[in-house]
Amino acid sequence: MLCGVANKNTWTRVATTRIREGHPLECRVPRYVNLIDALNAAPGARPFITYWVNEDEQETVTFEQFRCRARAQTEAIRAKGVSRGDRVVIIMPQSISAMTVFAGAMMLGAAPAFLAYPNYKVEPSKYRSGLEGVTANLKAKLVVIDEQFPDDLLDHVSWSGGTVPHRASGRRDSEAKPEIIDSSYPADCVAFIQHSAGTTGLQKGVALTHAAVLRQLEHLAQVLQIDGARDKIYSWLPLYHDMGLIACFMLPMVYHVQLVMQSPLDWVMQPETMLQVISDHKCTLAWLPNFTFQFVSRRTRPNRRAQYNLSCVRALINCSEPVRAASMQEFLDGFAACGIKADALQSSYAMAENVFAVTQSDLRGGSGPTRIWADAGRFRNSHEIVKVANGATDSICFTSSGQLLPNHEIRVMSDSGSILPDGTVGEILIKSDCLFEGYYNRSDLTAKAFTDGWYRTGDLGFSLDGELYVVGRKKDLIIVGGENLYPQDIEEIVAGHPAIRDGRVIALGVDNPDLGTQEIVIVAEVESEDLLARADATEREIRGSVTAGLGVAVGMLFLKPPKWIVKSTAGKPARSTTLEKLQKEHPELRIGS
Amino acid sequence: MTVEETKMRDFILRRIRKPNLTIDENTPLVSSGLVDSMALGDLLLELEDLTRMRIPAGKVRPKDLDTIATMFATAARVGKPQK
Repeated sequence: MLCGVANKNTWTRVATTRIREGHPLECRVPRYVNLIDALNAAPGARPFITYWVNEDEQETVTFEQFRCRARAQTEAIRAKGVSRGDRVVIIMPQSISAMTVFAGAMMLGAAPAFLAYPNYKVEPSKYRSGLEGVTANLKAKLVVIDEQFPDDLLDHVSWSGGTVPHRASGRRDSEAKPEIIDSSYPADCVAFIQHSAGTTGLQKGVALTHAAVLRQLEHLAQVLQIDGARDKIYSWLPLYHDMGLIACFMLPMVYHVQLVMQSPLDWVMQPETMLQVISDHKCTLAWLPNFTFQFVSRRTRPNRRAQYNLSCVRALINCSEPVRAASMQEFLDGFAACGIKADALQSSYAMAENVFAVTQSDLRGGSGPTRIWADAGRFRNSHEIVKVANGATDSICFTSSGQLLPNHEIRVMSDSGSILPDGTVGEILIKSDCLFEGYYNRSDLTAKAFTDGWYRTGDLGFSLDGELYVVGRKKDLIIVGGENLYPQDIEEIVAGHPAIRDGRVIALGVDNPDLGTQEIVIVAEVESEDLLARADATEREIRGSVTAGLGVAVGMLFLKPPKWIVKSTAGKPARSTTLEKLQKEHPELRIGS
Repeated sequence: MTVEETKMRDFILRRIRKPNLTIDENTPLVSSGLVDSMALGDLLLELEDLTRMRIPAGKVRPKDLDTIATMFATAARVGKPQK
């Protein structure tokens, strides 16, 4: 049986396959040869992208208009000497133009890569270092920038190998119809390069073939029951992030879904606009990192909520950060009156190395992702998940990231390399038909990433009752006296203190040679510098809360002024870089000794 | 400073609570790092309340909120009456 995907031309049915613990759906293969083939098959008059600035200022392009603009970009790129197989780096503000450059490069058979555009939030030295590292690794033929890109930053592009800059015009493309480009290259060609999140100058480039991307999209379309005529995707997500690129550009392009997008900066300045866009355009799907659910709830005045109608939403998918039930509940409580339904808040586990999603919660479940409560002591002491009654004393709540996509397999592995049974926490390994083959020009990193053909995600989690639960990063796990502690649990308690800035806490495990085990080190930013005057009292209160909540003592606690913690390009606290900074200021920590 | 600008100053001081900080209508807030990106939304909400204007999305850049003076000038330039 085919599962409710309206555009049946996009795939063919091959066989009914049940993957262990996966969505019990049929396995289908995409019909398109490559991504451009899919774009060319889109109905020309259907709106493709609406770029939303405000209610009076929006630009919409149909699929045919997008194709024409992309072909014009192909001609411009080709005129710069780019040919099939070359890399094209795109550093432009979030815009339809940037997307046409990306598609135009793919039409030519080149491999484009979006990099983050510099903005006032990004630390200049870090941006320059990242730009230098990434462009050196890609050895791009062309770097496409906009007319406003600062000249001084061009000094930090690696121009080795004949790389040339190209300033794309900000003017709208002419109405002239460029010739159709021959894009009949095979599906095993590299389609584009996306970068895994990173905080150093060497973000890892993940080269993905058309075939891998098409397979991923086919799985997503299947489990989400994507219908190009019915669905509309909302996004504020940056295109250099897999969630923005795959779910909110490639998916609508291949499945002919309208996308309504806005700039990440506009959104962060006025987060409530997300509700306005979804409501006005009747968007049905969006992918959001966990913090968005709280951020929007807390910055939308109660008296303005009534004007939004969110009943159109089929799924807001919590992805790319550990899923927190409390964040989703806050959103639900805040906007239930606007028509948002409990089963519209969903979850997924995704990574650039697998193109995007590995799991997806079941939209047909009726109540959102599964939540379970487990014995907190057994979880921390022996990595075991022993279910207890909901909300029981000394329990810990986990929110599922859903079931595996078709043709996906996972293993949960112990430190010693043995495969663990359900309900036991270990490192998540994955294998799928859309997994990447290696990091671009980084065979050293690739070799470390795989074990017997399985990709080692570095994430810790467990599977239970056919669903995957992700609990944190393996390298971040803190082990104190044999007890396993997850930094997120500590950070959530610390962030609950009124003097601490929400989201600006890092908990680390640092080896203490005197004790022969790790001790907990916490760095937390206070809301304002004057609060440092009562740091002693705050520290006492935080230590007390952590001990009461988790039954462990905090080794060292550093209260810092706002903006002290180093952030990644994605705006998240950067653990390793913050740790280095901490060590410089506090050599007594003896980190790594 | 006008009454509204004074109220905005007090709001910012409450928000950033840096000891011994004094700011006036021309003190750089964003470019100096006193106000971070996550706080810009709060400033805009307060600006809308004080001016009884609605600031359309996409019309404001961080530099428009760099000082109290530029905030109110921006509201006068792009603001629309609240419904």
